[in-house]
Amino acid sequence: MGNKMNLPIMKLILWFFMLFTLSGCFGGREINDLEIVIGIGVDKNESAGNILLTAQIVKENETGGTGKDGGGEDKAFWNVNSTGNSIFEAVRQITHKTGNRLFISHNQAVIFGKDIASEGLEKYIDFFLRAHEMRPTALILIAEDRASDVMDAKPETKKFPAVNIEKLVESYAFTSHLYKVNMKDFASCMMSDTKAPMAPLVSVMQDKENKDIYVSGLAVFKKGRMVGKLNEDEVRGLLWVLGKVKSGVITVSSPNEQGSAVLEILSAKSKVTPELKDKRIVMHIKIKEESSLSEQTTTENLATDSAFERMQKASAEIIRQEILAAFDKSKELNADIFGFGEMLHKKYGNEWKALKDNWDDLYPSVELKIDVESKIIKTDLLKKPAWQSEGGK
Amino acid sequence: MNIEKGKITGQQLLFLIAGFVQGSVLLIDFTVGITEHQTWMVILVGLAVSTPFFLSYVMLAKRFAGMNLVQINDMVYGRFLGKVVSLYYIFFFLLTLSFNIRDVGELYITFLMPDTPFVLLLVVFTATCAYAVSKGIEVLARVSHLFVFIGIFVIISTFPLLLDQMDFSNFLPFFELPFGKIFQGVHIVSSVPFGETVVFLAIMGSLNNTEHVIKRTYSGLLIGAATLLIVAVRNIAVLGKTQTIWTSMSFQSIRLIDIGTILTRLDFLVGIAQTVLIFLKCSLFFYALAVSLSQLFGLKSYLPLILPLAGIEVVIAATVFQSPVDHAMITQNAGIIYSIPLMFVIPLLSLLIAKIRGLPKFERGKGT
Repeated sequence: MGNKMNLPIMKLILWFFMLFTLSGCFGGREINDLEIVIGIGVDKNESAGNILLTAQIVKENETGGTGKDGGGEDKAFWNVNSTGNSIFEAVRQITHKTGNRLFISHNQAVIFGKDIASEGLEKYIDFFLRAHEMRPTALILIAEDRASDVMDAKPETKKFPAVNIEKLVESYAFTSHLYKVNMKDFASCMMSDTKAPMAPLVSVMQDKENKDIYVSGLAVFKKGRMVGKLNEDEVRGLLWVLGKVKSGVITVSSPNEQGSAVLEILSAKSKVTPELKDKRIVMHIKIKEESSLSEQTTTENLATDSAFERMQKASAEIIRQEILAAFDKSKELNADIFGFGEMLHKKYGNEWKALKDNWDDLYPSVELKIDVESKIIKTDLLKKPAWQSEGGK
Repeated sequence: MNIEKGKITGQQLLFLIAGFVQGSVLLIDFTVGITEHQTWMVILVGLAVSTPFFLSYVMLAKRFAGMNLVQINDMVYGRFLGKVVSLYYIFFFLLTLSFNIRDVGELYITFLMPDTPFVLLLVVFTATCAYAVSKGIEVLARVSHLFVFIGIFVIISTFPLLLDQMDFSNFLPFFELPFGKIFQGVHIVSSVPFGETVVFLAIMGSLNNTEHVIKRTYSGLLIGAATLLIVAVRNIAVLGKTQTIWTSMSFQSIRLIDIGTILTRLDFLVGIAQTVLIFLKCSLFFYALAVSLSQLFGLKSYLPLILPLAGIEVVIAATVFQSPVDHAMITQNAGIIYSIPLMFVIPLLSLLIAKIRGLPKFERGKGT
């Protein structure tokens, strides 16, 4: 029956095809109707209960480089403010200024002001997880002061503050003085019973006439409220335990105490084993670190076995001190930044039920057994220092 | 006397079953909300629990080779009771099909095309299924190979891209949840992806030979189950504790892929695989529904029923639930209860009756 049957079906297919091609896209939005948001700042507004939202929008005609000469004052971005009782309300309020709905798929970072962070983020984070244009990989940061100031500081080498901030966070690997936290990580910690959420801190530094953005340290939260900060050394102490130290600099004094040796961290591994014995909670932390000798400020030749041994010991001690500093700070804040509670939960499922409810009281009593193995594995391009002291020969 | 003239081979049946089970990948989300990080073991237990029932479907089909579900029921339970049982099955096919069509609509409206009218999505999808069904089981069987490979490809290719974000300690502690929750989870898993394979009773009649049928169908089920397991493991490892809050875990974990800021936004892959696989699943349900209903009415062909059924399905799908919240609540609590007899009781009973009465007997007329 071939041909007779095929004709109506062919027509039907054509019909459907036309239905789709001729009607255009539902909800299609052209590029010139989009306000592409690359960063969002959230601050507390002066009037009670309200929030001030700053959206950083890409200016379409400035990015192409066809700007009328002069250029100095021209910014490639536009920071729009709006207020509202909720994030979404403020996001929609912006359309009174922009004329277009915000397009937040390309949002790089969400920055919360300090005032709103210490009030509690649980009220404000929902939108950023729920909105379908938001990516779960967007970064979350806490401003040392106001988020809108951070958004305003125009970087020297990049066009957009938000992109610059994202770059700064990504560079955490060079120093291990902060850690990259995205929306999903933050939500994951918020959902945990014990683990304290953290987010990197961003601040504005006045440098002569120019303002610089500075990202370093971590803000520590407890039940959604910011309770304190970790400084650079404490953050690295935390990252040693979590096994997330990528690189960084350790300065130890040289064996003859006349100068110092500077080591570059090449790799670090950690293993944390919780132990629960007669009501005592002990965390066995084992760290393996490898570094290279990348600078020395003494004339003594450090490329010897005995010098290596002493430097390794000294750097292991520094790592230990950093971990203890982070732990002391977390005890002070009573915030489980390491996630020890989660580790216990995973190993001792049954016993955990009894510990869970008074974890806040138990946390300060946790004991650490730290075992650091530090190794120097190379000396880079020099075998000996150029200015070598007499004794070293 | 058979309505379907097309024949499928055992190997094609394998892929049909694998694709059918894979089509339920997004439906394990119903379980995750209850069983959290233990979902992977719930899937394994669910598979073990549903194995005997699945084998009972296959053995029934093997015993009554060349006959479809309605013919089997007529022969086993007699003309009147058989019709009642068949109606029960048809009711189940009708509802499950509309729920699945609604799933596709919800998937699109939430993740892919938020501004498109819901009903339009349902109409287009149902029309595609209707077209496939009108082409017959042979065509579906032929495309099933392709669909299963698309599904496996998407899952296997996205897995390594997420390796750096996986934290396998999310699986600990192994046994934490109370038994009641695990039981409910096992029940959902053993009925939603696995028990629904009862629909193949209406399809296996088209097998060209029933040799090795048990081995082949069971391998199909295992391929499907392995896919579900990989997806569940990936979601648990990537999302951890947060996996209970997302509307769709698979989408959320794929959205997290970020390789050098270039390889990102791969969620369309899940969209493609999911559409293709749910299409296969819906088409099989649709086919079973059309064939069973026309057999019940004693029609010569099921083609005239396709368009009216498609219309009914769209209407049910568009109106049956108010929101995905409603959908999940009903499926988790009520949906799996009304389907217990037809998945876990009737096929075994039919098999038992057939054994005792020495069916099938062909000398006394043929069913309808």
